[in-house]
Amino acid sequence: MEYAERYARNGSTLSETDQACLAASRVLLVGLGGLGGAVLEQLLRLGVGHITGADGDTFTHSNLNRQLLATESTLGQGKALAAAARAAEVNPLVHFQPISHFLSPPDFKALAAQHDVVIDALGGLHLRRALQQAASAAHKPLVSAGIAGFTGWVAVVRPHERGPVELFGNAPESSSPESSSPESSSPESPTVEERLGNLVPVAMLAASLQVCETVKLLTGRPALSGMMVFDLEDLSFYPVQL
Amino acid sequence: MKLTVKCFATLSVLTPPTRPYEWQAEGSVNELMAHLGIPAAEVKLIFVNGLSVEGTHILTEGDRVGLFPPVGGG
Repeated sequence: MEYAERYARNGSTLSETDQACLAASRVLLVGLGGLGGAVLEQLLRLGVGHITGADGDTFTHSNLNRQLLATESTLGQGKALAAAARAAEVNPLVHFQPISHFLSPPDFKALAAQHDVVIDALGGLHLRRALQQAASAAHKPLVSAGIAGFTGWVAVVRPHERGPVELFGNAPESSSPESSSPESSSPESPTVEERLGNLVPVAMLAASLQVCETVKLLTGRPALSGMMVFDLEDLSFYPVQL
Repeated sequence: MKLTVKCFATLSVLTPPTRPYEWQAEGSVNELMAHLGIPAAEVKLIFVNGLSVEGTHILTEGDRVGLFPPVGGG
């Protein structure tokens, strides 16, 4: 009964079959910062049955401007543990598995194989290519996004397709690889997001687009092909085939 | 030729103010970027009419050009 009532307001847009699909699905969410916190919130409310959420970072004051899981009471806490607490609070029907250390490329490969969709919510570019390669090697779709200032992009990268990260290359390593890090700027060559910062509406929009595409993938609907670039300063959206 | 040119993120200040932009020449995206003073090294994604292309792509009348730096915040 709780199940039916909980999802009643998803209406006819998510049918009982869709809802059952989501409940039977497994999503790997890498990064629980600006993108990842908002992605997690939505996956929980949608009732995605199993979510593995990975982030080795802890919350600091500079996360408070945009990261949903960063609150006065979670400062200093591990992001993955804060995510587990949120998961239990929002939807106990979801099985949430926290991973409280930074993942490396070999971890990506093993984990991708155990999930239906891989969500790249990493901050910075340097680990994203490895995550895309791991998803591809495991024959799993990757839903990726990046933001800076008023600008962002979302991409669905199916196995063996080209992804935006191949074009962007690898940015220099930051001190907190799985969370967004304008706060850990390197003075010599700051990245685009270090220069422009990351804003909460942009992070949450990009996260919403990621979740929407993930739902489509999990419920067998046609999803984004390639990438969607957006600029919220003039409210423009551009689909791009890679 | 008339083009629509949009630069994103850190490059947005380099978007030509007139729309469409009247380019008094013909050539590739690289040549357009040089003409507009856009640092090609900072442009990692070029898209023309919704398709990702190389800098050597030759532009034609009416093309919509997007120039995007490496954006990876999260």
